Amino acid sequence: MIEALQFEFMRNALYAGLFASLICGIIGTFVVVNRMVFLTGGIAHAAYGGIGAALFFGIPYIYGTMGFSLAAALIMTAVTLKVPHRSDTFIGVLWAVGMALGVILVDLTPGYNVDLMSYLFGSILAVPASDIWWMLALGAVTLVLTLYFYRDLIAISYDMEFAQLQGVRVNFLYFLFMAMVAVAIVLIIRVVGLLLVIALLSIPPYIAEKYARSLGVMMVFAVGLSAIFNVAGLWMAYCFDLSSGASIILVAAAGFFISLFIDTIISVRHKKQRSKI
Amino acid sequence: MDDPVIELSNVSFSYDGVPVVHNASFTVAKKEFLAIIGPNGGGKSTLVKLMLGLLKPDAGRIRILGKPPKKVSHCFGYVPQDVSINRSFPISVLDVVLMGRLRRHKGVRIRKQDYEAACHFLELLGVSQYKERRIDDLSGGQRERVFIARALTTDPDILILDEPTASVDTAGRTELYALLRDLNRTKTIIVVSHDLMVMSSYVTAVACVNQQVYYHDENEITNEMLDMGYQCPVELIAHGQPHRILKTHEEGP
Repeated sequence: MIEALQFEFMRNALYAGLFASLICGIIGTFVVVNRMVFLTGGIAHAAYGGIGAALFFGIPYIYGTMGFSLAAALIMTAVTLKVPHRSDTFIGVLWAVGMALGVILVDLTPGYNVDLMSYLFGSILAVPASDIWWMLALGAVTLVLTLYFYRDLIAISYDMEFAQLQGVRVNFLYFLFMAMVAVAIVLIIRVVGLLLVIALLSIPPYIAEKYARSLGVMMVFAVGLSAIFNVAGLWMAYCFDLSSGASIILVAAAGFFISLFIDTIISVRHKKQRSKI
Repeated sequence: MDDPVIELSNVSFSYDGVPVVHNASFTVAKKEFLAIIGPNGGGKSTLVKLMLGLLKPDAGRIRILGKPPKKVSHCFGYVPQDVSINRSFPISVLDVVLMGRLRRHKGVRIRKQDYEAACHFLELLGVSQYKERRIDDLSGGQRERVFIARALTTDPDILILDEPTASVDTAGRTELYALLRDLNRTKTIIVVSHDLMVMSSYVTAVACVNQQVYYHDENEITNEMLDMGYQCPVELIAHGQPHRILKTHEEGP
């Protein structure tokens, strides 16, 4: 691994993975405790419509995806707040429409063909330095906003009605947070791909949740786990000459199943101990 | 007499066209101990959420301390019905109670005075030894106490508890109501409950809610209220200590 780091693309891949870990660990923690993994997946897929729109209208890629994912995030959040029990259906519809629109718009664009795979899995080994700076900046903004609103975010995640009575601007924070998710997704998709974003947003926070005593600890755990998965996945991809994004996801998935396995052993032991007493 | 703390006039509310609260009018005086009773689905919790300003009435007017509920939400200490929300959420008991101080402070750091207030109320409710624990490691009764501590940490004028004794055993219940009676010296207290018997010696007013609201500003539960509130009053009496209710019933005009 060390000798691999003499290549610039490898160093960039490592930085990209680590910054993505920072952002995904923090945001993913809120996504997981608020049960918004599906919503986040919806935003990420709907963003594909933006790729098609950008190509078709000849505007820069980032405007198209950012526009689509922000719009999707705002609509989905509004629906979630308005009709919480049926929002999943609506999210599913927007998810599909966004992607279909993207594919059709690419079809209609003459002489150009976008590889859907690079959107799904990204190309972490081809990350330009400018993207690294973008991710660093986003990571810093996410960190500052989260620290400032830390207690408000805990309150709206844990008990929204009580938060409202405490004068927390619930709707404002909800939209702000979802906008953060949308921006993060767009920036990170470029680097590591849609599937890796969803894996990093959900797997490390899920594992961390069980062992953390507070949301802050959960975030730190999640960022750490995510960083380990990234480095291990990259190393695996380098050693065995595999696709980097998919390798990272499989390492994270291995971590996920190992944690489930450990939980089962622990709970069986507890039961045995109890039955002895 | 003081101005009323809570004033409802002709308030109606419906969920998706189904009327839940119909034309409710009553006033709650300062330092009242109000019991809201009624059958499941009768609109008790909805009525509470209307008073809190969490729901907006379809018609009618609600005034809390002379102002719309949203303007004075800091005057409420609210203990929600379901204290087992978000079970797997990683949060310590202390952090739950500190939510009561959100209005005063932002950021991650905990201010000394907020910490002390939280500890004080955890102590008062006898659960301070759990403050570093994760909330879902506590029993239902202990969680209930933590939520009451959280409500008190906001330093409320009006304390509203929605079914506070659902997960508390009989001894805990008596203790809890004794505490509420103490708090009643300085605060208006509203309790949504089925435990008419334990409460009846402390309450100063009873609101019976079954779409309509029947308000009695005396500590009495009349036969007519029971008929209106419950389909089967006999069953209700069989569940608890019947003496109090029967007495009132026999002495009635």
